[in-house]
Formats: sequence, C-alpha cells, structure tokens
Amino acid sequence: MNGLQATFRGACAQAWANRRGFWFEITVMILNDLVWVVFWVLFFHRVGTVRGWNTNRILMLQAILTTGGGIVLGVFANARNIGRLAADGELDAALALPVPTLAYILVRKIQALNLGDTIFGVVLFVAIGHPSPSRVAMFLGGSAIAATVLTGFLVLIGSSSFFVGRNEGSELGFHAIVMFGSYPIDVFTGAGRAMLYSVVPAAFIAAVPARLVDSFDPGLAAGAAAAAVVFATLGVVAFNLGLRRYTSGNVWKL
Amino acid sequence: MTIEVSELSKAFVTGRKARRKTVDAVRDISFSVAAGERVAFIGPNGAGKSTSIKMLTGILHPSAGTISVLGLVPWQQRRQLAMRIGTLFGQRSQLWFELTPRQSFRMLGAIFGLSDQHLVRRVDELGELLDAGHLWDTPVRSQSLGQRMRCELAACMLHEPEILFLDEPTIGLDLLGKQLFRDLIVRLNQQRNTTIFLTSHDVADIESVAERVIVINHGEVIYDDSVEAMRRSLFATKYVDVGLAHPAEAPSLVGVTIAQHSPTMLRLVVDTEAQSIGTVVNAVLSSLPVADLSIADPPLESVIASIYSTARTP
Repeated sequence: MNGLQATFRGACAQAWANRRGFWFEITVMILNDLVWVVFWVLFFHRVGTVRGWNTNRILMLQAILTTGGGIVLGVFANARNIGRLAADGELDAALALPVPTLAYILVRKIQALNLGDTIFGVVLFVAIGHPSPSRVAMFLGGSAIAATVLTGFLVLIGSSSFFVGRNEGSELGFHAIVMFGSYPIDVFTGAGRAMLYSVVPAAFIAAVPARLVDSFDPGLAAGAAAAAVVFATLGVVAFNLGLRRYTSGNVWKL
Repeated sequence: MTIEVSELSKAFVTGRKARRKTVDAVRDISFSVAAGERVAFIGPNGAGKSTSIKMLTGILHPSAGTISVLGLVPWQQRRQLAMRIGTLFGQRSQLWFELTPRQSFRMLGAIFGLSDQHLVRRVDELGELLDAGHLWDTPVRSQSLGQRMRCELAACMLHEPEILFLDEPTIGLDLLGKQLFRDLIVRLNQQRNTTIFLTSHDVADIESVAERVIVINHGEVIYDDSVEAMRRSLFATKYVDVGLAHPAEAPSLVGVTIAQHSPTMLRLVVDTEAQSIGTVVNAVLSSLPVADLSIADPPLESVIASIYSTARTP
C-alpha cells in the first residue's frame, strides 16, 4: 500500500467513523436530487420538448452530472476546497509530508453528502438509461470524463487563490459550472454556448457525456477526452505554479 | 553542518493595486546548526520565525538566499527532505480527528514507506519513550490537547527523523503538559542525537530545551549564542535577595539599587561592572540581620525583552 492509497483509506475510515451521520447525509442528498428529477419531469410533461431535449435526455444528463459530480465532490472532496486551503494557508501539513501535494489533498477528505449524488446518479441511470453493455460502458466513460473535467476545472480556479489571495472567485466558478451543467446545453447559443465548451466547461460535465451515451460519436468522444486531458493538465500546472507563491498562514485547525 | 542558511530573504506582497506593498518577512539571515544541537529560534510576533522555519522545511519558497538542510535544498527537494525531518506545528495536525492515533500512524507509516513490522515496533517504542502507549487507541477527538500533542510528536517521530522542527509546540498546553513535553524533547535529543530546532514565545521552553538561542527581529538575526552566555553577556546584573530576621535599613552602595524592601525581605539589583558581588555580600552580612541570602541571574524573560527592545528599529 503506497502513501496515497493509505491516505485514501484514512479518509474513508474518517468518513465512516460516524456511520449514522454518513447514511443520513447520503439520504438527504438523494432526496435533494429526487426533487430535481420531479421538477424536470413536471417541466417537460408540461412543455413537451425544448430544442430537442425531452424528459429522457434531461434525466440522462442528471444521471451523468450527479454521478460525475458526486465522485469529485464526494471522493475528492478537497477539489472544491483548494481555493480556501491556498488562501487561508492550510497546506502546511500536506507540504510537510513526502507525498505529491495535489494528489494527497484530493484523496485526504471524503464528503459523505456528495456520495449520495453518485449513488443517485447510478440508480437513475439503471432506472431510465436502458442499460446495455455498450451503454453502461459509455455511461462509466462519460462519468469519468465529467469527473476529470470538473476536478481539473475546480483545481484550476482554486489555484487562482495562490495568485489573488482570495477564494471568492473559485466559489463563483464552482457554482457557475454546476448550474450551467445542469441545464440542457442547447438552450444556450452563440458566445454563451462557446463559453460553456471552453472557459467554464459545463458542457463536458453533463450534456456531452449524456449525448455520448444516447448516440455515440467518435469525434465528440475524442473532443470530450481531450477536454478532460486539457483541464486536468491546466489544473496540475496552475496548482504547481501556485505553490511557489504559497504564503502559508496561521489559521488554527485540526 | 546539518542546517546551513546563507543570506536568506522572504518578501510578501500585500494589499491591492495602489496600496500594494512588499513586506520583508525575513532579511538576509545566515546561521548554521550542527547535528545534535538544540536550538531555540525566537523573536517577537511578526519577527519572521515561522516564515524561516517554513522555508527550512520546504513549505515556502525563499525570495533570495540559500538553504541546505541535510545537504538538500528544501523547496527543490521537499519530498526527499520530508523523509528525513519531522515537523510539528502547534497549530496544525497530521492526525485524523475521528480516528485513533494508531490508525493515523498506519497511514503515516505507509506514507513514509515503513514496513508493517517496523511500524509496529516503532509505535511501541514511541509509546514507551513518550509514555503515551495508552493513548494510541483513543480517538483523537476524545483526547485533551496535551495528550494530542504527545500523539502529534509521535506522528512526526515515526520515521526516526534526523531533525525535529517544532513551531510553537507547547502552545495551548497547561503547565504540567508543557513541562512533560519539554522533558520529552530533551530526552529524544539525548537518546537519539536528534537535532532540535524550536520556535516558541514561552521563555521556559527556551530555558528547558535549548542550549543555543538565535534571536530574530524584523526579519534579521540580532543575537546568536548559548542560553547561558545570553544571560551573562547581556545583563551584567545580579539579584541579591536577602531574607531579614527583623526590619532594617538597606546599605547604600555605588552600583546597587533597591528593587524591593519589606520588613522581612530586601532585593538588591547589582551592576557588577560598577560594584563587585563580593563587596555587596560583605556589606549585607556585616550591616543587616541576615536570615537568608541568595544570588540570582535576572530572569531570561527580561533578558529577551531587553534584546527585543534594543533591536527595535526607530
């Protein structure tokens, strides 16, 4: 067992230490996600279709978004916290260990609440996704791409805190990508749509992987994989550059 | 030398746009530390202590200067260095809050590449050395601060580091906890020849643990000598405390001032450059009803306060 595996085991044990709280948080998140499903079902029941999107497509989008997002925010919970950790100078303990800092931080904390998203997403796919071997493979691959893009993006915007010294920007970025990612991509047009494929890559954390499950397109799949590689690389580079500007701090934490 | 620091500087940029300014947290400091030394690195708040220790451990990148710790450049070879040093920051934890120390040690053992057998043996050894084996199976969240600090010390000692960097390690501990902790550090140094590099605001930490003191203020080293030499060279002053059998007038001597005078007690402050201690003691014995007499150095606290204030920039 190497250091990162051991750290991940520690994070699992820490999350599991309070089992009642663990299951309570997961249940709460599943109920929260269920409300969204009810909302979209009622919405499309009333309006029929919106630019080619219907109930099935939006539910597939929700399945991918909650599965991928749940992996990032639940299993790599600190992906969302990098901006705060950098701005508040809370990386000292990680930097004092002989481990790759970013990887260590990502596996150091598990958020039970968001594991509920992943469970919900998988169950939703099984319920509405007509799972077949090829569709399951595409669902898993799409969720992995969504998780990678989201992790890379969160690390990238979180790392901006190293340079500006504040965390508000990364929080705004997080809310923007999750919000835009949860809507049918085709309701956006022009520059706004282009932005969702580039600056705030919301398209790649739900709509694009969902389309790949429903109708596989090798070009689109290659584009999504490339986006995952690009954002993962940008995140790693920005974090490592930012570490050089890390100023530490005196926040009292355990 | 175990640690060699040459012309080390660190500047932070603070404020925004028009009000942006550069603050020199550390300015051109140089010193070296030999293997097995116990060094206190002290200074007032904002002097640059923590910034320096974080550069020595590779956490911060310096703005200028060079550092060699165990022959390694900390910010370039951070992971290699971390395998050979232990760091304990009083305000940071390496332990998982919800887990027992033994569980945390298992994770840290894997991080430091210790085999299972080696880890078990090491945890038992540290339990004995730190008198803390009974704490290994109590979740950290249920431990007192003093108990937790002992577990933290064990965590940073698991891989048998050659140097221990301790940044305010006794902060928040009660008097007994502090004394126990200081004894542990000295024992580790004596039994394993572990180099100790300590920052603290607590003078007792310095007196109990350190053999040598480096004082830093406004980012510059302003004093570097042994604890004893610090007392002697900087204060040519002695306290003569006299217990009186009955009330009496104090003798008048050149270079002697009366700091305290009650019917039963007299404290004389002697400037030993103006008056010898022998003359003062003879005068006291011949002119006063002495019930008790003692000669003491001034408390280290006042020596350090004096160094800080004399070095304060205008």
